[in-house]
Amino acid sequence: MTEPGHEPDAPAPPASAFPYEGPEELRQPITDALCRVVDPEVALNIVDVGLVYGVTVADGMVQANVTMTSAACPVTDVIVGDIERELDAVVPADLLVHVELVWFPPWTPDRMSLGAKRFMGW
Amino acid sequence: MTPVLLALLAACLLTAICGGLLRAGVRLPDMGDEVLLGRAAVAHAALMICGFLGTVLGIERAVAVKLRAAFIAPIAAGLGGVCLLLGRESAGAVLELAAALVFVAVNVVVVRRQRAAHTVLLLAAGLCWFAGNALFAAGQDSGAILPWWFAFLVMTIAAERLEMTRLMRRRPAAQLALYGVLAMMAVGAALSAASTLLGGLVYGISLLALAAWLGAFDIARRTLFAPGLSRYMAICLLTGYAWLAIAGAAWMMTAIGWPARDLALHALGLGFIFSMIMGHAPVILPAVARVKLRFGLWFYLPLAALHLSLLVRLGLGLANPQLRAAGALLNAGAIALFAITAVGSAIAWRLTREAH
Repeated sequence: MTEPGHEPDAPAPPASAFPYEGPEELRQPITDALCRVVDPEVALNIVDVGLVYGVTVADGMVQANVTMTSAACPVTDVIVGDIERELDAVVPADLLVHVELVWFPPWTPDRMSLGAKRFMGW
Repeated sequence: MTPVLLALLAACLLTAICGGLLRAGVRLPDMGDEVLLGRAAVAHAALMICGFLGTVLGIERAVAVKLRAAFIAPIAAGLGGVCLLLGRESAGAVLELAAALVFVAVNVVVVRRQRAAHTVLLLAAGLCWFAGNALFAAGQDSGAILPWWFAFLVMTIAAERLEMTRLMRRRPAAQLALYGVLAMMAVGAALSAASTLLGGLVYGISLLALAAWLGAFDIARRTLFAPGLSRYMAICLLTGYAWLAIAGAAWMMTAIGWPARDLALHALGLGFIFSMIMGHAPVILPAVARVKLRFGLWFYLPLAALHLSLLVRLGLGLANPQLRAAGALLNAGAIALFAITAVGSAIAWRLTREAH
């Protein structure tokens, strides 16, 4: 969690890797910021694993809806903190960052990117 | 609450290590309180598994469910360990039983939030801890208790690894095979109270089969090829699985009367479980203790020390009590080196952040 993000032999995910609503100029920086949040246990970033359900930029706030693969995962708060820090660094200072943890719909491996699946031997 | 839990963890871990060294035949320098050390030696397994690891896993689960009441489990587990050290065996056993009961309840909450194979297995692991603690409170001998205590730890690890395998292509037969292996482990543990031979053989086979399962299906085989912390974690996992296989074989050898008990217990407790701890500490410590660590290649030093010292203790020491004792002392040194590495990495992270 304290390493710079790395993403083994997976191509950069397209900016359409998750639903996005907001100014077009923030789409790529936000995607890149989320791709820097890596779960070292699986050696993949949260966008590739499919944990990001959507990002909305409206009313002075960036809201990111994310899920986790397990409700028993104690590392959740650390990952949420990393997301907040990475987003804070790329969005204009007057925007508030809010990360919402959602459990529905439950995460399934179908949400993984092609690169992530290739890395995991699919 | 954090300082209390930290003090309980430190008390249980340090005395468990000292007690373990005494049991392995290491002469400890005069530390003033021989009675306390004697109790630590008698309660070595209870201190390590219930007092230390029960507290660690209790904290981990309490952080995950975000319920204050869930912290009763780790506090009771830690206090139970301290009671054992103070000679209050009954109070200690009752506290451990209460800790496991609360831990089971917390796992029921987790299952209600997310009904999945891995959350149900975590609950089953909690039930194994409860079973072991009930036998401990009933004054049963270690042959009956230890299989349940180890099943608690091993099943917890298996559940967490199963969750990770969801990222790989799902193989329904593999998941069923894991359920079969873990059910066999519970049967082996239950049989151990009645028959050392039969219980030990079934339990040993289940450990061996679990090692094969993890070796075949764990994502560590993939993350081994990723850089940095991911590779380090994968190496901790894979070397741990090798010790798990050795523990399974040694458990069976012990059942048929070979002198392999130290090998069985410590290939499992140190080789497998401490490898898991070393692998996961860099990601779990930031979550449970709010301490970030800077990962570096220096993390491989205590890991190598652990495995090499186990080779001395369990390999060379098999026929030589002096080498066995020396190996045990080196085991303790490896754990101390890991603690120093973790503290140093936390300081390194702070310095790096301040530099930025």
